[in-house]
Amino acid sequence: MSRPLNDDEVLSEMNKMVAFIKQEALEKAREIKVKADEEFAIEKAKLVKQETHAIDMLYEKKRKETEVAQKIAQSAQINKSRLRILQAREQCLQDLFSTAREKIQSLSQDQDKYQALLQGTVVEGALRMLEENVTLYSKKKDVSVVETAAEGAKGQYKEISGRTIIFSVEGELSSESAGGVVLIGNNKRIVINNTLDERLQLLEDKMLPEIRMDLFGINENRTFYN
Amino acid sequence: MSNQSSQGIQTLLEAEKDAASVVQEARQYRTQRLKDARSQASKEVEEYKKQKEEEFKSLESKNAGSTENLQAQVDKETEQKISELKKVYEAHKDAVLDKILDRVTKVNPELHRNLRKLES
Repeated sequence: MSRPLNDDEVLSEMNKMVAFIKQEALEKAREIKVKADEEFAIEKAKLVKQETHAIDMLYEKKRKETEVAQKIAQSAQINKSRLRILQAREQCLQDLFSTAREKIQSLSQDQDKYQALLQGTVVEGALRMLEENVTLYSKKKDVSVVETAAEGAKGQYKEISGRTIIFSVEGELSSESAGGVVLIGNNKRIVINNTLDERLQLLEDKMLPEIRMDLFGINENRTFYN
Repeated sequence: MSNQSSQGIQTLLEAEKDAASVVQEARQYRTQRLKDARSQASKEVEEYKKQKEEEFKSLESKNAGSTENLQAQVDKETEQKISELKKVYEAHKDAVLDKILDRVTKVNPELHRNLRKLES
């Protein structure tokens, strides 16, 4: 049909073309919209997932930090409690020892016992020193008692060691002392402090494990007793 | 004839224009959709975050409560132990004091074990 088209045919061809153009456009538009909706869903899901994951991590970290802080607080608590108990124990010991220090003041009341004690401590000290000439320092008011004790001590010393010794008594000890003697030998170079105060002091230290057991019970955590 | 063809071309051009605007509208729809995705996602995330924050806060306050309780309990136990301690101390104090005083006065003078008594 190569003859030229008449008007109706032209019109119909026109309409067909217009319809075609429109149809193509609508299809393309639909494609675009469908794809847009897909992309919408994907993008939204991706963003939500990303962000919620980040938030979860954040709160997990926070939670752990809280846990750690709580544990630290607990531990600090327990420590503080232990320290307070130890402090209370220390207080008891202080009280004990200060009472002891008061009590030894009255040890010198019993004349006979005091005399025996003095003699004993003198011999004890002399046997350590093994000197021939020993000076005894005592309280001023004890001088005569100590002189008597020294006499007895001479004999006891000879008995035990077979050696002779000479004692000289001087009242140089402070009157605040609870009693006892200080032995001095070898030209004032050797000093043995055998006063009641010093003996108590040494005992305080040495008896601590025993005192601990008597006052506070045995230590459940201890394994070695030698 | 040329009038007819130019009219035809005009019609076609208009059809093209309409088509282009339909497609353009679709493209705008797409852009809008992407924006919607972002804003909706952001809103959901906000919600989630708020929820998580509340969970965390309630956990924290529960912890704080239990810590306080624990503290009070530990303190009470400590006080108890200390008063127990003092009671036991008072009960044994005198016995221990006697022991100490006893040892202060106990003397046992002896020769050093490496030495021998001199026989005169």
